[in-house]
Amino acid sequence: MAFALWPEYTIVLGIFATMLAIMIGSRERTIVGYWLALAALVASAIVTTVDWSSRVLPVSLFHQGVTVDAFSLVVDGLVLLAAVGALLIGWNDRRYGTDFPILLLVALLGMMVLGMANNFIVLFLGIELLSLPLYILAASHSPGVSGEAGLKYLLLGAFSSGILLFGLALLYGSSGTMVFTQLDPATMILPLAGAGLALTVVGLVFKLGIVPFHMWVPDVYEGSPMPVTTYMAFGTKVGAAAILLRFLFFGFSLSVDWWGPAIGYLAVLTMIVGNLLALAQKDLKRLLAYSGIANAGYVLVGIASHNMSGARALLFYLLVYGLAILAAFAILTFVAGERDSVSLNDLTGLVYRSPWLAAFLTIAMLSLAGIPLTGGFVGKFYLLQAAIYAGQPGLAIGLVVGAMVGLAAYVRPLQRAFAKPSGSESIEPIRWPIAGAIVLIVCVAGTIGLGVYPGPVVHIVNHSAAFYWLK
Amino acid sequence: MIPLNWIVGLAAALFAIGAVGVLIRKNPLIMFMAAEMMWNAAALVFVAYARSFHAMSGQVMAFIIIGTAAAEVGIGLAIIVSVFHHRHRLDIDEVSQLRG
Repeated sequence: MAFALWPEYTIVLGIFATMLAIMIGSRERTIVGYWLALAALVASAIVTTVDWSSRVLPVSLFHQGVTVDAFSLVVDGLVLLAAVGALLIGWNDRRYGTDFPILLLVALLGMMVLGMANNFIVLFLGIELLSLPLYILAASHSPGVSGEAGLKYLLLGAFSSGILLFGLALLYGSSGTMVFTQLDPATMILPLAGAGLALTVVGLVFKLGIVPFHMWVPDVYEGSPMPVTTYMAFGTKVGAAAILLRFLFFGFSLSVDWWGPAIGYLAVLTMIVGNLLALAQKDLKRLLAYSGIANAGYVLVGIASHNMSGARALLFYLLVYGLAILAAFAILTFVAGERDSVSLNDLTGLVYRSPWLAAFLTIAMLSLAGIPLTGGFVGKFYLLQAAIYAGQPGLAIGLVVGAMVGLAAYVRPLQRAFAKPSGSESIEPIRWPIAGAIVLIVCVAGTIGLGVYPGPVVHIVNHSAAFYWLK
Repeated sequence: MIPLNWIVGLAAALFAIGAVGVLIRKNPLIMFMAAEMMWNAAALVFVAYARSFHAMSGQVMAFIIIGTAAAEVGIGLAIIVSVFHHRHRLDIDEVSQLRG
């Protein structure tokens, strides 16, 4: 019990240590911050596994403000993976300033808080703790494109937080409580509760980047520095999906018909529109941004199906999506080198410059598309299964159509990578920074491993999403 | 004592004004101010209901909203100023190197 919050405390200690080291250290010693941040992340991961194996969960703390259970520990694991990946991809890069590791850790803390929130206050604090450092990180590279990305992210983030807050306020007014598990839809004042729920869901879905509210995602992803984009594409999606699942499954489990159909329609719309828009992109960061939108749609399928297999499939899918997107962004970082964007043309003839990178890119893209023997296939399979168990064939059809459109979008970069170079492209060999190479190799191995032998991870995920009131 | 419905109605009006402001204004500073207005409308609703329930939780939330809004203003103004230094003009339509 006393150990329940140690993964978060470790990160807090890590933030203080990193801050102090950077304040004391001279300009040349920026690398110390990265090592301290990495140490904090590894220590937090170790504490998380200790928590997991201690089997005393779940625990409710701070007057039911936070619930530490197997679900929150799995979310901790996922966001730690995202943070380690982003930190290593941006390892000691002078472009991103000395504050990069600190802000990364603060945002990580927000994501971890979102995984365990059981109260409106904690929900709001988690969202803001996650967003505020990311505004700075998005704008950190240069005042030009990067500043523009930060400005757009800031304005839309403040706007969506406002919607979320007003929704929470109305829900508080209609129910008289702030704790998710004490919300009782049967006694709520109806029009107020309906408006509150709608606004809250819109606010959360904004953060997740679901289709009618997705306009900010491609711009912010394109303008932000590469490791920050990686972090946003994986970490924020995990945090937003976790809090949406917890809020709806814990607070409104008894009134599925209030939100189930709406989430279902949004999921289908997002899967199809996100993949269709990905087809037309020339900039690879934008392509991956639209891919992230479409994948957020797949994640919503797990929520809309509202059963235990949906919650499990959601966690599993977040892991396979994260591995594929980390690998893809590591490759983009290598290809980009000193620049900060990669277009489709830059990939032309990649197989002649670096056969291994081309092979790894193939694996990452095929996993995002959902081809068998990669983790993406298994993840989509579980989501499909959850939708069919829930008796919602429309969701399953939408998922399959979206995946088919997506395949076409993901094949285009591969086609460029394996095309013969026309001679005008740079032919110098690509440098592999050692930290990024570790991320790339681990993620590719994980993607293949989860596609061939998903058993152990499925076991963990099954254990973590065993909410007793679900079928 | 002012009836609860009036306060919630006022907050809803503030929220709507803020939302419309974010959507139609072009100056990032004004847009940011309008977004803060939406936050404050929510804080007002929390305080109003907390008083009618005789509970503290809503008031705690209002304080947390104010504190977080201050942090957000600090970061937001820094970003807006750095973009302004780069361009010497503030118009969201001109800040459009990234096509939305």
